Amino acid sequence: MESTRVITEMIVEEAKKSAEHILQEAEKSAEDTLKKQKQRGVQRANEAAKTLLKKAESEAELNKLNSIANSKIKANWVILSKKETWINNVLNEAKNELNILTQSKKYLPILEKLITEAGVILGGKGLEVLLNAQDSALPLKLDNIAKEIGEKTGFKTKLKLSTEKPEVIGGAIVRTANGKVIMDNSFDDILRRREKELRSEIAKILF
Amino acid sequence: MLVLLEAFKAIKEKHVEAKRIVEEATAQAEKLMNEAEQKTLKVYEEAYKATLSQAEQKAMNLKRKAAKEAEHELSMFLSTAEDKAKGIEAKAKKNFKTAVDYVLNLVLP
Repeated sequence: MESTRVITEMIVEEAKKSAEHILQEAEKSAEDTLKKQKQRGVQRANEAAKTLLKKAESEAELNKLNSIANSKIKANWVILSKKETWINNVLNEAKNELNILTQSKKYLPILEKLITEAGVILGGKGLEVLLNAQDSALPLKLDNIAKEIGEKTGFKTKLKLSTEKPEVIGGAIVRTANGKVIMDNSFDDILRRREKELRSEIAKILF
Repeated sequence: MLVLLEAFKAIKEKHVEAKRIVEEATAQAEKLMNEAEQKTLKVYEEAYKATLSQAEQKAMNLKRKAAKEAEHELSMFLSTAEDKAKGIEAKAKKNFKTAVDYVLNLVLP
């Protein structure tokens, strides 16, 4: 009877050991599975993170470069705008002084010279002189001017004051009798014609 | 003979009990494995999200840092430009009359 008891106890004991082993293995396996899944998740996320960070780095760098380029443009604009303002100030002041000049006694001989120059360029003969309203009232010696143009061109010249009154600061517009050729020697047009060159020269002098 | 028979019977009973113990453990083990299987997706997703979230934060910090640096550069450029503009203004004031005279000389005959 004793040996039977030993045998049956052994059988149950073995079964319990087996059961314990099965459960331990199952627990270990479940733990491993979860651990591996976690590692897999981290690994996959790290791959995605690598791409994400690379993209973020490029975007950040690109944005930074763009911002710096814009900053340089803004900074240059501050300087250029300041220069532009001063160049415009010079041109405006010059126009202002020309306006003042047209009110002075010095202006008449200057106007006569401008008419003469234009007349010579047009080659003399029959010419029409266009002056603004104020200058049209000046005591211009058109015959004397015509004579000078004639001497310089070799053609007998006749000057006629036009009834047209262009709105200019001063100076004269001279055209041939048939109106086909015009020499604009108004202050406004001289300034307009030479503006590009003037701006460049003014910049050299100012800065 | 009777004793032997009882012994066999006792052994057989314990065999049945042993079999039941192992079967129960196997069933429990299968249950554990199934539960683990069901948790795998959740564990994967949680680990993925947590790691990626850190990277996203890092990416955001990178961008913020770059933006801050760019802002600093802008204020430096503007400050330099304003200094230059002051220099330009000083020179322009000094040379203003010469420039106006230059224009007048060019316009007047």
